[in-house]
Amino acid sequence: MACSWLSFVLGPQLQIGDMRPTTNIVVGASGQIYPNAEPGAAHQGAEIYRANGCACCHTEQVRPRALGSDINRGWGIRRSTGYDYLFEQPVLLGSLRVGPDLANAGRRMDAAAVLLRLYEPRALTPGSIMPPYPFLFDKRRIQGVLSPDALRLPAAFAPPPGYEIVPRPAARALAAYVTSLRQEGYLFEAPPPPQPAAKTNAPAKPMTNSPAK
Amino acid sequence: MSVTASPAHTASPSPPLSAAAGIEASCRLPLLSLFGGGVLWLLAGLLLALIASLKFHDPHFLANEAYWTYGRVQAAHRTALLYGFGVPAALGTGLWLLCRLGRSPLAGPWVVVIGAVFWNMAVVIGLGAILCGDSTGFESFAMPGYVTLILFVSYLLIALCGVLSFHRRATGPLYPSQWFVLGSLFWFPWIFSTASMLLLWAPVRGVMQASIAWWYAHNLSSVFLGFAGLASIFYFIPKLLGRPLYSHYLAALAFWTLALFGSWGGMPAGAPLPAWIISMGVVGTVLTTVPVLAVAVNFYQTVRHDLQALDVHLTLRFSYVALVFWLIAAAHQIVGALPHVSELTDYTWFPVAHWELFHYGFFALAMFGALYYIVPRLLDPLDPPAWSPGLAKCHFWFTSVGILISYIVLLVVGVGQGFLLNDPYFTFAIIMEGTTKQLRHSTLGYLCILVGTLFFLLNFALLLLRFGRRCWAELGKEVA
Amino acid sequence: MSQDDPKNPANRDNAEPSEGFATVPIWLIMVFGGLFYWSQLYLSNHAGGFDKQVYAPFDSLEEVAAMNPKSAGEEFRLMGQDVFNKTCSACHQPSGLGKEGTAPPLVGSDWVLAPGPNRIAHIALNGLTGPITVKGKEWNLTMVPWKDTYDDKHIAAVLTFIRSSWGNNAPAVTPEQVTAARKDIHPGPETSPELLQIPIQ
Repeated sequence: MACSWLSFVLGPQLQIGDMRPTTNIVVGASGQIYPNAEPGAAHQGAEIYRANGCACCHTEQVRPRALGSDINRGWGIRRSTGYDYLFEQPVLLGSLRVGPDLANAGRRMDAAAVLLRLYEPRALTPGSIMPPYPFLFDKRRIQGVLSPDALRLPAAFAPPPGYEIVPRPAARALAAYVTSLRQEGYLFEAPPPPQPAAKTNAPAKPMTNSPAK
Repeated sequence: MSVTASPAHTASPSPPLSAAAGIEASCRLPLLSLFGGGVLWLLAGLLLALIASLKFHDPHFLANEAYWTYGRVQAAHRTALLYGFGVPAALGTGLWLLCRLGRSPLAGPWVVVIGAVFWNMAVVIGLGAILCGDSTGFESFAMPGYVTLILFVSYLLIALCGVLSFHRRATGPLYPSQWFVLGSLFWFPWIFSTASMLLLWAPVRGVMQASIAWWYAHNLSSVFLGFAGLASIFYFIPKLLGRPLYSHYLAALAFWTLALFGSWGGMPAGAPLPAWIISMGVVGTVLTTVPVLAVAVNFYQTVRHDLQALDVHLTLRFSYVALVFWLIAAAHQIVGALPHVSELTDYTWFPVAHWELFHYGFFALAMFGALYYIVPRLLDPLDPPAWSPGLAKCHFWFTSVGILISYIVLLVVGVGQGFLLNDPYFTFAIIMEGTTKQLRHSTLGYLCILVGTLFFLLNFALLLLRFGRRCWAELGKEVA
Repeated sequence: MSQDDPKNPANRDNAEPSEGFATVPIWLIMVFGGLFYWSQLYLSNHAGGFDKQVYAPFDSLEEVAAMNPKSAGEEFRLMGQDVFNKTCSACHQPSGLGKEGTAPPLVGSDWVLAPGPNRIAHIALNGLTGPITVKGKEWNLTMVPWKDTYDDKHIAAVLTFIRSSWGNNAPAVTPEQVTAARKDIHPGPETSPELLQIPIQ
């Protein structure tokens, strides 16, 4: 028991417990810090994500190329590292992919797409088993003109004539959270893959024992 | 008055009947409160599992209200099973085993009752909180912080009584079940307090939370519940067969290696944690081969001359099948941790299959085996009322078949999903299409387990009725 | 035989189980030893020296360091790769081969491989519209300007990346060269005839 506590709780805590945003960005370094804090709406959205158990079906972690097809699938440009979750509270990595990974969802979807998918996933993906979240939206009478943030639904899922579907603040916060999910840049711990075509004057496989710093 | 057969194979001295009866009597109310609540929570958990499973048939099922959205229902299902049924059942059987093997009555029975009441209250509040959106987001640790405090204190009350009972035992060498029970009693507060503190009350930063959450979930299941189930199996199989457990040393090896290695693990291979943490998990899980083999050899040698006898006693049947499920689940976990396999099976239904087999297959069956033995003796130690054998058989078969259906479906779907996921040619929509139809068959599994549990409840109701009628008749005789 | 029949050999209510004391089979000890040895090997090979900076699939800090750029030049080029991935690959494709109706190819393009980067710097800064001949084929699309999105350093980096990828082998681009191009204020996107007027360097 003590052994396992040491390895999985104390050890990691001592090592990465006081992880701070790194400046060790491989690309575009010089002063850039990663990660940047989440904007406020995104943080509220994280609460909605937690409350509705989105992590039951979605993961938020990209595996390295050698351990899975995540990167090839377009779910990220590099594997996820500890730095990517520094400002998340709670950290909901998930452990089952009933739905796609969301670590870089912000790169693939905009708020409108997220809201549409939340209201009726089958509007975007026929046969989807993602549950709809109608309780995050209001169905209300159109007051003269369509509201600017009313959902543009396909005919099969549209509300009855004279009505519109408008996202509630919770839905908008959740959309802000999902679209804020992106894991930027290459880091020391997750360097870019070797380029297939050899190019520069640099030697093919530089041998060095000193860590790049 | 029942007649105890003269012990032919056992070496341990039998205490006088009255003392044994006294021990059982001291356990009566506390254990019945733990078990009663436990089985009801199992039922609730199975209902929630069924609801969650039905959503894979039609995502619109119960989707209009936030309370019943899949994410909340699934978290509630796990919570009800682990904390509503799992921990109380483990505590109940553990305490009974300590009393029985230690030949001392339960210390502080009323404290245990209070602990059980508060524990159940906390689970009610916790489940309500989850369905109302206040879950922590961690699937095996979903109840919010204010609830975990009550749970922790209740647990301590109950566990303390157990430890005190152990302390007051008649001297003698310890039987393996006692090590397992004591191990589990001490394990839970450690992992629970660590998880509560570092995830809820003073959350650690960043991905550490994931490491702790996975560590906690793995320990809760594999170690705490595992120890409780094994304690019961180690006790009942030799006892009811009338044969000695094959080897004390194998049992000791199993206990210590399971304690040492069984607690490392639970992380997916691609998790955003430094490589050493993942590797330690792999190593720990693979090394649990040793306790698995130790247990397998030990029981194989214990039962192999008496395989027909396994069918005779209800408890034996349940315990034996539970043991087999434990061995399969452990093998499943070991294979799943191997580096090249985990690349395929991580994030698929493969680990979920293991979870189902472990909790509904091994743990629940082991607990039911214990319950079938313990409950009548709690009611009347000297003349235990009998269960209805037909209903018990239905319970056994429905549950076993249900578990097998669930497990095999999830296993096959999981592996298939893994292959599809690892080929970027297959879009997620294709993967979903490919796996959902097969996945729906697991609903049948849950349904069967639910029906089986209902048979148990019916049986229990009949048992109580019979017992009540007998008491009434005896009362009438005394008065006459 | 019913469960509670006193003759039922399983009904030994008061008899507690006992244990035998058979020794642990030697093969199990050997399995334990073997697995333990394997585990030590595994940890020494795959635990990254217990360093917090080593993530799978790397096995040591040296491996991680080897994959990281070792010169300022390499880092610069990788910055360009990052910009390319984030921005340019959407139209010019991750392979640099371009796409019909979306963007012309960059691989082997005479514009890209020109000795001096002045013209492509102009394109990157100001965008491009109208017909343009790339590798003998005519393209008539529109590219948005990036001068307000990226600074000279990033534009120089991405141009360096483009000029040194997929078999392209042209000299790197310095931020100063981009600065010089930026000074040449040009409202609106470039057109091919205009570009051909400006010097290559």
